[in-house]
Amino acid sequence: MELNQHQQAAFDQQRPGIETFSKKTWAWTIFFLLLILLGGYALFLQISQGHKVTGMRNFVIWGLYIANFIFFIGISYAGAFFSALMHLFKIPWGKPIIRIAQMMTIISVAIGPVFILLCVGRFDRLDHLFIYPRLQSPMTWDVMAILTYFVGSVLFLYMSLIKDFAIYRDAKMNIPRWKQKIYSGLALGYKGTTNQKRHLIISQNLLAIMMIPLSIIVSSILSWIFGMTLRPGWHSTIFGPYFVAGALYSGCGILIVLMWAYRKVYKMGNYFTDKHFIYLGYIMMVMAAIYGYFTFSEYFTNWFTSEEWDNEVINKLFNPAEYGWWTLFANLVGILIPIAIVAIPKTRKPNWIALVAFFMVIAMWVKRYLIIVPTLETPLLPMQDTRAEYVRYSATWPEWALTIAGIATFLAFFTLIAKFVTVVPVSELGETDLQNNHPQETTPIKKEEIQPA
Amino acid sequence: MKQVSSLIASKIVSLKLFVSAGMLMLFFVPVSLSAQTDSTQKEEPATEEDSSLIAPSIQFSGVQKNDNTIDLKAGLTAKVKGQSVNLYKMKVTFFQVVNEEEKELGFIITDRRGKALFNVKGDSLKTDAEGKLHFKAVFAGNKAMDPAEEVADFKRAKLVITPVKEDSLLTVKIKLVDLGTGTETPVPEAAVGIFVKRLYNPLKLGEGTTDENGAATVEIPNNLPGDVKGNLTLIGRLDENETYGNLEATIVQPWGIPVSDKIQAMPRALWSEHPPIWMLVTFIVLMGVVWGHYLVIVFRLFQLRKEKSVTDSSTFKPIIK
Repeated sequence: MELNQHQQAAFDQQRPGIETFSKKTWAWTIFFLLLILLGGYALFLQISQGHKVTGMRNFVIWGLYIANFIFFIGISYAGAFFSALMHLFKIPWGKPIIRIAQMMTIISVAIGPVFILLCVGRFDRLDHLFIYPRLQSPMTWDVMAILTYFVGSVLFLYMSLIKDFAIYRDAKMNIPRWKQKIYSGLALGYKGTTNQKRHLIISQNLLAIMMIPLSIIVSSILSWIFGMTLRPGWHSTIFGPYFVAGALYSGCGILIVLMWAYRKVYKMGNYFTDKHFIYLGYIMMVMAAIYGYFTFSEYFTNWFTSEEWDNEVINKLFNPAEYGWWTLFANLVGILIPIAIVAIPKTRKPNWIALVAFFMVIAMWVKRYLIIVPTLETPLLPMQDTRAEYVRYSATWPEWALTIAGIATFLAFFTLIAKFVTVVPVSELGETDLQNNHPQETTPIKKEEIQPA
Repeated sequence: MKQVSSLIASKIVSLKLFVSAGMLMLFFVPVSLSAQTDSTQKEEPATEEDSSLIAPSIQFSGVQKNDNTIDLKAGLTAKVKGQSVNLYKMKVTFFQVVNEEEKELGFIITDRRGKALFNVKGDSLKTDAEGKLHFKAVFAGNKAMDPAEEVADFKRAKLVITPVKEDSLLTVKIKLVDLGTGTETPVPEAAVGIFVKRLYNPLKLGEGTTDENGAATVEIPNNLPGDVKGNLTLIGRLDENETYGNLEATIVQPWGIPVSDKIQAMPRALWSEHPPIWMLVTFIVLMGVVWGHYLVIVFRLFQLRKEKSVTDSSTFKPIIK
């Protein structure tokens, strides 16, 4: 494999990350593992004692778990959408961040459905989803859609990694033999021949074309679980595009935060430049406006028609004694502040954008919670002789522990993956991709010049 | 400056230790502390109700039918902790009372709704001097419940229902006759209703008041759905009359529109086992297209392996340009 100067520079910069496993990385990995273990203990309690250890009861049958499910699946769709779009439109500045977006897709789509299983409880009946599917049910559509989407995401990431695996294989890095063998196997004998290039580019383009509509369809199907249920606050035709917009918006925020973290931790300021933050900030601002528009439409139509049950949900959402403060937080921090921060030139800086994106992501999680819980606390039939704790939902520590375990898994993956592959795709970088950060020369570097560390 | 930085570092270490200790503490928190409480486990203070027996009550009535039988209907309920409860599997005994002498007719065990229905033949019953029948339903009580009884009195009577079809006009004539005196005497000024049998409660079609001949005529709509043969079960009723109590007469007439109750062998609908065709086709096409592409892509990936030697000696430049 031969690299041009930019590719060589990118490889050289990221090579130590793959070859070494620092004490700091160990510390973070152990910390995340401890959090995952805590989740494991909570899961053990949930299985051994049943769902009574959770706050879910007869009326509020979905709680934190489903909020987490929607959140993780949402950011996964955004990852696929952004990476496919950047790939297809050959956006030069997008090349360094494609891989982060793709990794975000895979890990989120792997973590998200686990929360469904935690909510359902009966792991032993998992196979029933496939043995007794009911095609008319949005649940079945969701299972099939997520499975299909997961396979597509894995293929999409893997195809973009093949050329990089070939580079790692040929670089003769100072890494264990098993790791070398894995790179060699995963590279599929890629040598950069014309035919190989053709096969790879056709496959990548084909999949990128599919991933965009697929992520929109799958996101809509997820929304239909709610939209096709006759419940106040859920039964809305706007839910499909609303969920798509919400997914892209929160995913954009996660992408910015991840980019900021890698930039700080791995000193990648020359790849994740101010320009990337500003461009993604613009996307975030536009998405915030779109999402804000949908949110306003949803609340306004429900409030204006004043249908009894819809009205009750709206009252709950805006009553400070119930969910009023959370609604304010979700809309202020989740919509208005991101727009303001990006719109004002003085705050249009990487740190500000990353900070506001971080809080926006939290606000978007709260928004998911507000979609689920207040509606379930407003059943259509009157509640009689019901215990108060059955009507109001409050999450218990096992639910929080499993939620934290999910987030820890997400972060652990991003910590560990940087030890296995280069976060910035080496093979994808060209002469014109990093104009502001690299010299313009494109002198090819021979294979012999790829030095071991 | 060094002192400040070391102070900050030590503060950070203490904070980390504090957070770690906090996380570890979570392992030792009993679930019962954080899981929601169960309000039903609270012990209620003893009330008078707990210390005394439950006092049940009986709702008792009779329905005189045109097949010369009488349905004696008893419902056994009790108030427990402020809620009305139907008493299930309780023995209710029925008596006929003639001249203060009680003759046991039989007993019925109540169903899940606390109901007991006893059918008695009219011929075997004796009326008093006024032509009235007197019945009594008795619950003997048990260790937890007090006994209860209720009486029902009504005069012997009969409803006769006659279908009348004139051209396309469908009517039924309902005649109420008094049998208490031994002869059939028409009863005027009584409000009678006509109903049609449905799956659950009968549907009221109309009502009328009997004339001096004891008869009332009610029109029947000609667009009612019937059974497979188009049969309608028409029910004439006199409800809660002061003198005669409840009376009922039933007749079956082929005046309905035939409707098959046979379930379609394989209906394709959202609520059936089989999805609509369009949904099935859409699903198969969508999944087929996506997974078909996956197969093509995987096939192309296998093609990569077949390339043994480097035929392109150009630099490894980005492919997507």
